[in-house]
Amino acid sequence: MDETVAEFIKRTILKIPLNELTTILKAWDFLSENQLQTVNFRQRKESVVQHLIHLCEEKRASLNDAALLDIIYTQFHQHQKVWDVFQMSKGPGEDVDLFDMKQFKNSFKKILQRALKNVTVSFRETEENAVWIRIAWGTQYTKPNQYKPTYVVYYSQTPYAFKSSSTLRRNTPLLGQALTVASKHHQIVKMDLRSRYLDSLKAIVFKQYNQTFETHNSATPLQERSLGLDINMDSRITHENIVEKERVQRITQETFGDYPQPQLEFAQYKLETKFKSDLNGSILAEREEPLRCLIKFSSPHLLEALKSLAPAGIADAPLSPLLTCIPNKRKNYFKIRDK
Amino acid sequence: MAGILAPGLGVLAHLERLENQMSRSRKQSEEPQSVQAQERVLGTKIQKLRHLRDDLKAAVRHRRGSVKACIANVEPNQIVEVNEQEALEEKLENVKAVLQAYHFTGLSGKLTSRGVCVCINTAFEGNLLDSYFVDLVIQKPLRIHHHSVPVFIPLEEIAAKYLQTNIQHFLFSLCEYLNAYSGRKYQADRLQSDFAALLTGPLQRNPLCNLLSFTYKLDPGGQSFPFCARLLYKDLTATLPTDVTVTCQGGEALSSSWEEQRASHETLFCTKPLHQVFASFARREKLDMSLVS
Repeated sequence: MDETVAEFIKRTILKIPLNELTTILKAWDFLSENQLQTVNFRQRKESVVQHLIHLCEEKRASLNDAALLDIIYTQFHQHQKVWDVFQMSKGPGEDVDLFDMKQFKNSFKKILQRALKNVTVSFRETEENAVWIRIAWGTQYTKPNQYKPTYVVYYSQTPYAFKSSSTLRRNTPLLGQALTVASKHHQIVKMDLRSRYLDSLKAIVFKQYNQTFETHNSATPLQERSLGLDINMDSRITHENIVEKERVQRITQETFGDYPQPQLEFAQYKLETKFKSDLNGSILAEREEPLRCLIKFSSPHLLEALKSLAPAGIADAPLSPLLTCIPNKRKNYFKIRDK
Repeated sequence: MAGILAPGLGVLAHLERLENQMSRSRKQSEEPQSVQAQERVLGTKIQKLRHLRDDLKAAVRHRRGSVKACIANVEPNQIVEVNEQEALEEKLENVKAVLQAYHFTGLSGKLTSRGVCVCINTAFEGNLLDSYFVDLVIQKPLRIHHHSVPVFIPLEEIAAKYLQTNIQHFLFSLCEYLNAYSGRKYQADRLQSDFAALLTGPLQRNPLCNLLSFTYKLDPGGQSFPFCARLLYKDLTATLPTDVTVTCQGGEALSSSWEEQRASHETLFCTKPLHQVFASFARREKLDMSLVS
């Protein structure tokens, strides 16, 4: 086994927390059951890692095997990366998409290898019709850097791909080209949507975040849901503003629905608008040029936070459509200019 | 001498002892007192609760008696009311059954507060398969609020063509695509689950199930070369392939009998559903085996 491969596998295994180690090794399916049984996973981590490397050497792990382990680690730790979303499009009147996974993989790899000579491309298919692609980038003269790979998750027979954000931006056009040509599209465009939560991005982009539908078998008609405030209330207490509370509840339910919101960490608004003010004669109001500012809303779960604003009394209902349109418009980056 | 020089030891200690004795005896006399007081309080509580229980029991007996009397005195009108109630319940059950039966028509819907939620139940060869929903908002323009159609079905295209102008056409077209997809998926799933023994490698498929590629042998244990089949379904509203290529993995020129078989397989895949073709392969194999033995 090559020294660089051994080092690469070692560093990857060291990243894996001990309680996930057996699960990930099983998913990797490179070391056999018998081999894994010889390992004492209760030792100190360094000893476990040494033993595993020894087993990998016995089985002559290749760079491809190591890359596959890296993909699996990343699949288990998706949230450690920030994901961008790309949308491809076909020309008008295109033939029906007869997607062939083998052809796609060959084509994708060839395009990158022709352009860069030194590049490691690995694939792993998942059950949800997605293929994870790992690309380690080199140049004409340098070997690929295995420690700064780019990941792409492509959903076949859809125009969408998710790419891990990286600082190496010069390879992005080439990557876009490879993806577009291999999947038989014409163009690729980056969407204004970004998050750590790949599942949420998928739910937003595929419009799958709301899966509750009214059928004749629905148990409770949607109108009957109560406010939940007055269950154990003493009947002598009345809410002064119960009408308003019910209005807020109704509007919130209409805007956000009953389903769990997809998880996003932020929404960013770039404003280039003229200053609007009630006070006449202020300096800012006289300014001809638009003001430029950046507003960023951050939260561990932005959409749930927005949903709770009006019921908590912090904001008026209905909320600004700029905030509520995020999943519908599939954007969390906005540029707002005066019309 | 000892008594005078160390008076504390004697007198004061004695006084202390007497003091302790007194306080101990006082405590003892108090305890029973407080315990007695508590006993008295609990005793009265028990009596009160017993009274309450007896009152409630009497009330229940009284009620039961009056209800029995009511039933005994029941009037003909009341019997009719009960019958009407039963009739209404029967009607309700009927309506529910009819609504459920709509599922089998393949297309049903329920009015919602903002429009209608359409349910498309797909089927293939009499087997009820997956259901898909499209929630429509009835506004100008008509729009789709949310849906459960898979992302690789061209819903936006179909909507762009028909939703505003001809909603019936929109629904029928969508039904066509979804039923065809369900049918193709069903055939591929059946091939994988029921005829794995005849396949010599994994079935290659894609999300729309419109490109299937597999290798198979008619005699699983035997010496014959495996066939490679590649099925293309260019018409997404069809459940039979538009292009079929069957080749023999042997590579060399085939004997005329193999060539005949190869050509006949191509025709079979074009004209019959995939799992039925394999079912006939399996039957033929059984027949051959029985002839041999």
